[in-house]
Amino acid sequence: MPNEPNGRDDFEVDPWHFAGSFLANMLSRSIPDEPSHAAIPWTPFEGSLSGAKVALLSTAGISMKDDTPFDMDYERKHPTRGDSSFRRLRADATADQIEANHLHIDTGYIERDLNVALPLDRLRELAAEGHVGSLAETHYSIMGFQGADSSQLENESAPAIAEIMKSEEVDLALLAPV
Amino acid sequence: MGLVARKIEEAGIPTVTLNMIWVYQRLVGMPRVAAIEHPFGRPFGDVDDVTRQREVLTAALALAGSASQPGAVEHLPFQWHEDPKATRWHPAEPSPIIAMMQARRAKKAAQEEG
Repeated sequence: MPNEPNGRDDFEVDPWHFAGSFLANMLSRSIPDEPSHAAIPWTPFEGSLSGAKVALLSTAGISMKDDTPFDMDYERKHPTRGDSSFRRLRADATADQIEANHLHIDTGYIERDLNVALPLDRLRELAAEGHVGSLAETHYSIMGFQGADSSQLENESAPAIAEIMKSEEVDLALLAPV
Repeated sequence: MGLVARKIEEAGIPTVTLNMIWVYQRLVGMPRVAAIEHPFGRPFGDVDDVTRQREVLTAALALAGSASQPGAVEHLPFQWHEDPKATRWHPAEPSPIIAMMQARRAKKAAQEEG
């Protein structure tokens, strides 16, 4: 059904459902059959959602129109690299106040309704109804395509984002790749 | 993105990552993954689909409390309203790396023919 969970307990998401064979073959080559990552960090979520201050992060290359946009020319000149910086987004940002720059998706949907990738309106509604404590003052975007080198994203942007979240006493971060 | 989740979690803030290509979990190791079968670019739902956006947001946030161990993956039971072949998510032009690979493939094919 279009807008209903399918109700199957054994449902497993097909990660390539929308990818097409070329992209699926290309991306799946980099993914091992068994876990190959280092130990996973873990911070227990304590308390309840109704008391939690929540921050959102999107990988859609979203910037406020009064801020510097993500640099797409860099990637056009260097196809195996991507802009590794991040942008702060205001909690009251709406689609007409942002732009989205990401060369791997159609960003038009996000520029029509920001909530498809960064659901600030929905989060605000949940907070107003008491299901969530509050919205962080700052939300975030990176540009998801990093190509051959993600070290600057990992070692510069990510710690800087975490520092701002800590300074705003964020209790929970929801990250959404596009 | 998974790397960013790890850094935020290491800094002492719990994270949930809503992810279409959730199998990246095996490569990256994210603390909590909510897997979603939505098209690229619209992880929470379609334009103006307030109901779906809210359901996905609520389900992803709930994983913060329900996940009991590092690396937990929950498959959110949502289906997209369009067939994959009818779903438009691609950019107007191929991304630079895809264009580069397609050009290489075409060159190789031309060499093999020639």
